[in-house]
Amino acid sequence: MNPERLTHLVLHHPKKIFIGLVLLTVLTAAMMPLIQVDTDPENMLPENQAQRVFHNQVKARFNLSDLIVVGAVNRSEQGIFNPQSLQALLTVANQIEAIEGVIAHDLMALSHVDNITQQGPGTIRFEWLMKQAPVDQPAAVAIAEQVARLPLLQNTMVSEDLKAASIYVPIADKNESHRIATEIQTIIAGVGSTDEYHITGLPVAEDTFGYQMFIQMGISAPLAGLMIFVLMWVFFRNLKFIAAPMVVAMATVIIIMGTMIGMGYTVHIMSSMIAIFLMPIAVVDSIHILSEFVENYEADEDRETVIGQVLNNLFKPMLFTSLTSSVGFFSLLLTPIPPVQIFGAFVGMGILLAFVLTLVFVPAYLAVLKPAALQSLRDIHHSRSGLLKGVKRLGQFSLTHSKAMVLLFLVLLAISVLGVLRIQINDNPVRWFKAEHPIRVADRVLNEHFAGTYDAYLVLESDRQSHQQQFMSQLADGSAAEQEMTQLLQRNPDFTAALTAWLFWAEDQLFAADDAGVAELEPLMVAAEQTLADIAAFKQPANLAYVERLQQALQDSGLVGKSNSLADVVKTVYRELMGGAASDFRLPPTAAGVAQALLQYQSSHRPHDLWHFVSQDHSSSLIWVQLTSGDNQDMSLVVNHMDQFLADNPPPAGVSVAWAGKTFLNKVWQEEMVMGMGMSLVSAFVVVFVMMVVLFRSLLFGVLAMLPLTLTIAFIYGLIGWVGKDYDMPIAVLSALTLGLSVDFAIHFLQRARDLYQETNDFKQTMQLMFEEPAAAISKNAVVIAIGFTPLLLAPLVPYITVGFFLATIMAVSALVTLMMLPALLKILVRWAFGVQR
Amino acid sequence: MKMILWCFGLLMSLVVSANDLAVDEIVQRANLASFYAGDDGRAEARMLIEDAKGNKQMRQFVILRNDLSEGGEQQFLVVFSRPSDVKDTVFLVHKKVAADDDRWLYLPALDLEKRIAASDNRTSFVGSDFFYEDVSGRNPAADQHQLVGQDETHYHLASVPKDPTLVEFARYTMKIDRQTFLPMLIEYHDAHDRIYRRVEVLAVDAVQGHPTVMQSKVSNLQTGGHTLLQFRGPRYDLGMEESVFTTRSLRNPPRTWLKAQ
Repeated sequence: MNPERLTHLVLHHPKKIFIGLVLLTVLTAAMMPLIQVDTDPENMLPENQAQRVFHNQVKARFNLSDLIVVGAVNRSEQGIFNPQSLQALLTVANQIEAIEGVIAHDLMALSHVDNITQQGPGTIRFEWLMKQAPVDQPAAVAIAEQVARLPLLQNTMVSEDLKAASIYVPIADKNESHRIATEIQTIIAGVGSTDEYHITGLPVAEDTFGYQMFIQMGISAPLAGLMIFVLMWVFFRNLKFIAAPMVVAMATVIIIMGTMIGMGYTVHIMSSMIAIFLMPIAVVDSIHILSEFVENYEADEDRETVIGQVLNNLFKPMLFTSLTSSVGFFSLLLTPIPPVQIFGAFVGMGILLAFVLTLVFVPAYLAVLKPAALQSLRDIHHSRSGLLKGVKRLGQFSLTHSKAMVLLFLVLLAISVLGVLRIQINDNPVRWFKAEHPIRVADRVLNEHFAGTYDAYLVLESDRQSHQQQFMSQLADGSAAEQEMTQLLQRNPDFTAALTAWLFWAEDQLFAADDAGVAELEPLMVAAEQTLADIAAFKQPANLAYVERLQQALQDSGLVGKSNSLADVVKTVYRELMGGAASDFRLPPTAAGVAQALLQYQSSHRPHDLWHFVSQDHSSSLIWVQLTSGDNQDMSLVVNHMDQFLADNPPPAGVSVAWAGKTFLNKVWQEEMVMGMGMSLVSAFVVVFVMMVVLFRSLLFGVLAMLPLTLTIAFIYGLIGWVGKDYDMPIAVLSALTLGLSVDFAIHFLQRARDLYQETNDFKQTMQLMFEEPAAAISKNAVVIAIGFTPLLLAPLVPYITVGFFLATIMAVSALVTLMMLPALLKILVRWAFGVQR
Repeated sequence: MKMILWCFGLLMSLVVSANDLAVDEIVQRANLASFYAGDDGRAEARMLIEDAKGNKQMRQFVILRNDLSEGGEQQFLVVFSRPSDVKDTVFLVHKKVAADDDRWLYLPALDLEKRIAASDNRTSFVGSDFFYEDVSGRNPAADQHQLVGQDETHYHLASVPKDPTLVEFARYTMKIDRQTFLPMLIEYHDAHDRIYRRVEVLAVDAVQGHPTVMQSKVSNLQTGGHTLLQFRGPRYDLGMEESVFTTRSLRNPPRTWLKAQ
């Protein structure tokens, strides 16, 4: 594109441009009410990602719901087991049951579960554990003693120290958890217990996060706008003048956000930061134009000529800085995390849009401003800020100590690399809240008392396929039996459901008629029953024994609070059937023994509880793993520990073992994120490097342009490593995009240094001139971007604070490094850089 | 005697069909029609338990019943044949009216005979949506009944438990067939007055003159599951001795009575 023609066009059609911009902004702003917030960390993985798909299959197979955990703590001597506390707990549980969206029949509380006990010799008793609250202290203690005999409840529903009890509240829709948690709070307040009540669980954390995200967007984005406005005013002290970049910034943000929402993308934690990212970046080009304009503008001069000249000078560096910045963001598309991709894509487009708007709108606006409005500008470019003096001294220092500087940078790089190697990759959505947030407090308290509020599932599956094939092969083609089976499978593709229904059908046939054709059914029915028995792998004591060993291995990892399984259910029932002695807490000797014990478990008030641990055909079983920590790191350690165990102790033939659960999924996307970010960083680096070589038409300048930001990024991540801050989602995202942003400084520095050297043909003089206006513009830009992100520090949520802090730091450090490193390097390399003797 | 009662009942229903029967009488006759047909009885039963997702399980058993007094004490023997791994599991129940029932259990795989005490009878019957009480009959005196309406075919009753702490429902409504006195539809409401459970009769046959439920269904509206219960070959007044219903039958079920009659 020819910048001169563009300028000409722009300057002669200001009205059309203004109207067009207003129309576009209004149109996209109109889409904003369609906003949909998404805070589900599961969406960090693509919908068809294998582990996510499996996780959801497991949830469906075992009727697992998202759980809100309500905990009551009584720190007194007698603990939670006193009549008042238990009455309060019962009342709370009964009221929670009635909340819309709570899956009442799966609610777990002392008042809602069954007990199985001995009642005299030879008699077992089934009853609700706590249908009514106990009337006196001994009765309360008796309930505690009962719980101690029920491994599924102990340490899950009641803490081992007897100070705390919990209510597990399953909810139908995790997007409702903030509302439900709020209603639970009201219920607790209404009951007026003196016990401490806490509410936690990943769904609450996620949904509450979404709620606070809105607050953050409402606060941080306008604040960033205000901050940038104030800074611009400090630089130019002319309201009408700086209105132009503000309009560009606002229009960019509105158009991009409106388009994103209009296209149906949800606003995720990442995309909620788009506004705050775009605002400072969008004004950077304007600052260059305005600075240059101020420098060259004289009232008597023809304004068009000045504008044309400014644009001509700046078009190339602006294009390249915009391109490199957007490349940094576009590189996020290589990370297989959809919210990160959307964020990268829209910020990248936003940067290009801001570039276009700056080129089109700012000149048109300057052209129509009345001369009087620009009167005050003439005084500005002569004023010299304290910032510039400092920058100048810095430049002088690195020029005189160029070799020492290079050495210093090398040492810094080495230390940084060591720091990078120490980086701990870790994240935990609950830690996205500040330490004093009620959710964090609840998380801490409840995990101190209980076996853990973080869930993962170890899922065992046995091979059904071979049994299915074997049975199907016995059905004669075209026979009534085969036709019926085919029909049943069409209605419900689940083989065991179809086979059960087929048995019913076969029996009806047998009963209805007794001709010879039907008699063939009898052996088939025997085969069908055998097939159902064969498929039921998790009635086999051997397989359940393996489940026990897995549980022992989980416990041995030292990171698992507790695990619950079908084996625990079977052993508990078996013990009570056999008389209740601790020595009978073991598996029955035969599959029929297991089946008959389970038949008793199912004769309870809550038979459906069984299906959380085993599929209805008993071909798949689940171990519920409770962790006291939701850190990805801890989950990884458990997974590694179990991988080792599985390698040393392979499962029985035909049985496979795999992980599911929210805590596990968080670990999965964290890993994908780290891998993906590595890809993004490398590719952004390569692309930007190539662009630099092309821009400067010099390999050396290309390398020089990359050096400051390389050191900066290494330094920042080294710092994270040394300080011991976890490398989490926000930190990971920063790497690639800061690369695109911080290379701007080097581009401007090198481009201007080259131009100046061409004019002066003297390196010393070039450097002197460099630390006048060009260094000032670079510092101004660094300050605008760095300070533009600081409102994030006021956000109520940790990831925003992290992003704000590190982006500001990276911008400041990389401007500093650019201004110190490039003069020193240029001095050393002057012969190759400028092709002359020093 | 039975026959006379039956005729009397028939006569009564004709006589009083124009005017209202007392609610206690309706309940009493519903109880008799549902659980006390004949002096004893035998049927093959099978259950298809289906959850909200279409998973299916089955239970198949023979149920033998002996009435000690009409509307009073009864004895049940339930012997399982399917699924194969619970084959020959036996339940024995001596149903009382004024006291808790006596219940026994035999698990063949563990060769284990056990007495069962239960605080209430509203636990699942072997994992189905039927409650133990749906099979053996709920004592009509446990609830306060009210006739809230009637149409050409049904009496409409509303009942509340006398002791709400023993049950999970707050109230239930029944539609009782005016001819057979079989409750054709029972709906249970929870403490928040939501219907969460429904018991329906789907098919009735006359067996030896007794209107007999051949097919019924319990739906759990909370879980979305339901259980279909079908009877086959019901027979009454077989003359089964009381010895059939003793704990000796747990280990040695009366094979003659288990076979189709």
